Amino acid sequence: MRMLALSVEKLDVRFPGLPVAALDIASLALAAGDHIAVTGPSGSGKTTLMNVLTGMERPSGGRVAWGADELTAMTETQRDRWRAHNVGLVMQEFHLFPGLSALDNVLLPQKLARYSLPAGMKESARSLLARVGIERLDQPIETMSRGQMQRVAVARALVGRPGLIVADEPTASLDAEAGEAVADLLLELSGETGATLLVASHDSRLIDRLGRTLRLENGRLLS
Amino acid sequence: MFSFILADLRRNWIGVSIVLLLVALSTALGVAVTLQERALRLGSARAAAAFDLVVGAAGSETQLVLSSVFLQAAPLPLLKPDVLARLRTDPRVETAIPVGFGDFVGNHPIIGTTREALEALGGIADGETFEHLGDAVVGAQVKWKIGSTFHPVHGSAGQAGEVHADVDYLVVGRMAANGTPWDRAILVPIQSVWNVHSHDEGHQSLGPEEQMPQAHHDADNAHGGHDHDHDHETHRHDEAGHTATPIDDTALLDGRNPGVPAVVVKPRSIADAYNLRQEYRRDATIAVFPGEVLTRLYGTLGDARHVLGIIAVAVQALVAAAILLVIALQVLQRRRQIGALRAFGASRPVVLAIVWLETFAVLAGGVIAGFAIGYGVTKALAHRLGAASGVAMPVEFHSADLWTLAAMFGATVLLTLLPALIAYRQSPAQALRP
Repeated sequence: MRMLALSVEKLDVRFPGLPVAALDIASLALAAGDHIAVTGPSGSGKTTLMNVLTGMERPSGGRVAWGADELTAMTETQRDRWRAHNVGLVMQEFHLFPGLSALDNVLLPQKLARYSLPAGMKESARSLLARVGIERLDQPIETMSRGQMQRVAVARALVGRPGLIVADEPTASLDAEAGEAVADLLLELSGETGATLLVASHDSRLIDRLGRTLRLENGRLLS
Repeated sequence: MFSFILADLRRNWIGVSIVLLLVALSTALGVAVTLQERALRLGSARAAAAFDLVVGAAGSETQLVLSSVFLQAAPLPLLKPDVLARLRTDPRVETAIPVGFGDFVGNHPIIGTTREALEALGGIADGETFEHLGDAVVGAQVKWKIGSTFHPVHGSAGQAGEVHADVDYLVVGRMAANGTPWDRAILVPIQSVWNVHSHDEGHQSLGPEEQMPQAHHDADNAHGGHDHDHDHETHRHDEAGHTATPIDDTALLDGRNPGVPAVVVKPRSIADAYNLRQEYRRDATIAVFPGEVLTRLYGTLGDARHVLGIIAVAVQALVAAAILLVIALQVLQRRRQIGALRAFGASRPVVLAIVWLETFAVLAGGVIAGFAIGYGVTKALAHRLGAASGVAMPVEFHSADLWTLAAMFGATVLLTLLPALIAYRQSPAQALRP
């Protein structure tokens, strides 16, 4: 696994038809292995920031680099490949694929990103699923509870041992108990692997457990 | 990737099956039109293969061929007796077989001819050839047993006509199957047909008596074989003296006969064939190669096929357009799923391949199923048509069909690229935006 530190300079994101910048960040630096919460009201630019930092969206201007990888200099194809190898994603709406088992869901991104599964990947998927408390590996995903689904999603985000874990409102669609379990897992597992953890959230219990909080308002960082 | 595609197809199996069915049925329509037309063409050409040259009295060439080769009953003018005699003694002629029709029994036409016809059409499979005026040889598809008897009915098959009650035929043999309408016919000596009709002169037209055909072949099953034959011999002697009379072929040559509607000629060489055709295409006779008439008919058939083919293509185009719309809508609906795939690191080519393979698998499956359905339907149809007409219709794929299949696959490849490209162009951030 590669340790990833973030450096952002003069970031500027504008959407067509909107006079104000959606994101305007003069500079931001994060150390590798940091656990960071990103907060702010809806529409403050949290998701846009996550998209830019994971290379899903290209900013209108500025520079974004994780370690030596400069996202803003990459083509879309290069960013796709970079994301596949370096980022584990957990999303509010899980985005698990019905019809596939828990194990197949965990392995799907690895299968799609590589021609063949690296040796040991299946094993680590199994042990990760055991770790997040999923007992039946072949259980179809659509028969699971929401809490179970998000735990499968956490396992999926971690199986490739990414240097960066990005979670967008990972607990927002779960009840308090399930949310806490997911938060525990995210913190424990990223702590164990030394991955940088970036969580966009409204959940104060989760935010309080992360080391640093970035607060966004109208696309600008308040600190 | 394949497990993902399979899971996706399984999840949407209702929609997938409907699209598959639509593609299959529209393809089957086109395939059936092509195959059926080919079956008709090949079947009729093979049915005519045994008939080199047909000579008849002046009239319609098409009707002459339809009546003599395909046994489509129609009132044909008779040739003068000397034409048959001349043809039979012509050194350029190998065989000249008279063909007389007009009577039937049940749905089977009764054809008056000579023993040479039996050989020309594939020979006897069971029993023996006719030796007496009252003997009959049935075609391969006629279900009667050897030894059964029947009365001929004047008129055309399927209609009630006048029963020649005083004439009795005994089935003595069965022909080998040859895939022509003659499989459904009953062959009797031409001399006996002449006799029947000279007896009946004066009331040739369909009588008002409206009698049903009297085939009492079933009754024979009640009797024991040998006894029955014996009984019958006596019976035949009593009722009509001519039936046990041996066939006398001199009547074919001496001109003492009413004439025949058609003579099937087998010339000794191709040159002879053309000479004879030339010679008998004047005055009161016509001579045709069935092939030339069939070619003319195929022209018409081809036009009909062309029209049906255009309709089939139009149907396919409509179905293709509708399906494309459905698929495009579905891809747009799956926007978030595709966006998620990208977000998790699937590259654009992988997403393109997934969407393309998935839609291509469904459409290509439909095309292949369509070929199978088209083949099955045509086979069933050809079987029914064949049973009704006696013309064996070969349903077969030719190498040209491979090109059709390839062209359809090519079209499918291009069509399914469209939704795949829509998916390719979506950025993951856009796609995931709620």
